[in-house]
Amino acid sequence: MSPRAFTFREILRDSVVLLLAGIAVGLVANGISPRGLSLRRDYFAGLNRPGAGHATSESRAASFARAPAVASESTGINAARRVRLAARGIDLADHARAVELFRDGDYVAGRIVFIDARDDVHFKAGHIRGAWQLDHYRLEQHLTEILGACAIAERIVVYCNGGECEDSELAANDLLQFGVPATKLLVYAGGITEWTSQGMPIETGSRASGQSLP
Amino acid sequence: MNRPVPSRGWVRRASRFVLGALFVYFGLAKALDPAGFLKLLRQFDLLPGPFALNLTAAVLPWCEMLCGAALVFGLRVQAAALAVLVMLASFTIAVTVRAWSIYQTGPLSFCAIHFDCGCGSGEVVICVKLLQNTALAALAGLVVAGSTESRGDDPT
Repeated sequence: MSPRAFTFREILRDSVVLLLAGIAVGLVANGISPRGLSLRRDYFAGLNRPGAGHATSESRAASFARAPAVASESTGINAARRVRLAARGIDLADHARAVELFRDGDYVAGRIVFIDARDDVHFKAGHIRGAWQLDHYRLEQHLTEILGACAIAERIVVYCNGGECEDSELAANDLLQFGVPATKLLVYAGGITEWTSQGMPIETGSRASGQSLP
Repeated sequence: MNRPVPSRGWVRRASRFVLGALFVYFGLAKALDPAGFLKLLRQFDLLPGPFALNLTAAVLPWCEMLCGAALVFGLRVQAAALAVLVMLASFTIAVTVRAWSIYQTGPLSFCAIHFDCGCGSGEVVICVKLLQNTALAALAGLVVAGSTESRGDDPT
């Protein structure tokens, strides 16, 4: 039997069927995967609010240039972030402040807490020694233990990758939503990138794994 | 009646394999990290509201993978290639609009702009991305234009 050519109408119909099948498979996969998204949740609620100090187009543009001035890039991003956080009563912490808190005796006692707002893969690859993990996109994973630690803590430092990363800000907003006072919260804008670049120690694997770098 | 052109048969097969494999790879990269894809998708600021954003992040990678797999395995290849062509056109418009908005805010030349477009290939220079998409669209067009497959299936 000789091959039959498809009409464009048939091709179009089959394309639509393929895409609908993709949507159906995607919905099922999203529903059963532990990494699945909650379709109705506004993951960026704290960042989208009008007047909340969204990152300016200039600050975003700076980070897209191939060779931008790094200082002006981070300054622009942090200025926008500072405005958004200040609207909620949360302060930004610079590297010196983060190091000071890390070295404070209260850190070991649990009165200072570091929270890593990145996902499992990044957390296990290396986090600030003793930090807890709070992934904004999988809140249910660690929230109970985090809230317990936050109840005892007097200072809570939340960080992510640094630079354009907004996960620390989103995680800080989550903690606010769950009743952690804004006065306890600090967002370390430099994040793990600045931490490691300054030669500060990190821990790999799970929290308190004892596997430290360098 | 359209008959296969033997000398072009292997080009078409190679095109669908390359295109299919790339779409499976790009789709898989996104499907394995839906939150990461969601964050990148949000930066385009094109979708109206959280539901549309979340839904797109959840299902688009699977549409890419399904169409890619259909191309690789030779099932409904013209339909899959057409779907890929439509997706490529949409992605190209989206990255161009975003790059243009960045271009307008600063002194950078258009081709100096680079960002992670959420395409599954990491950070890209916009002009390189546009060339890549044009090349992939040409491959998809070649497969769509082919009419040698019985009922659109081409297991060879």
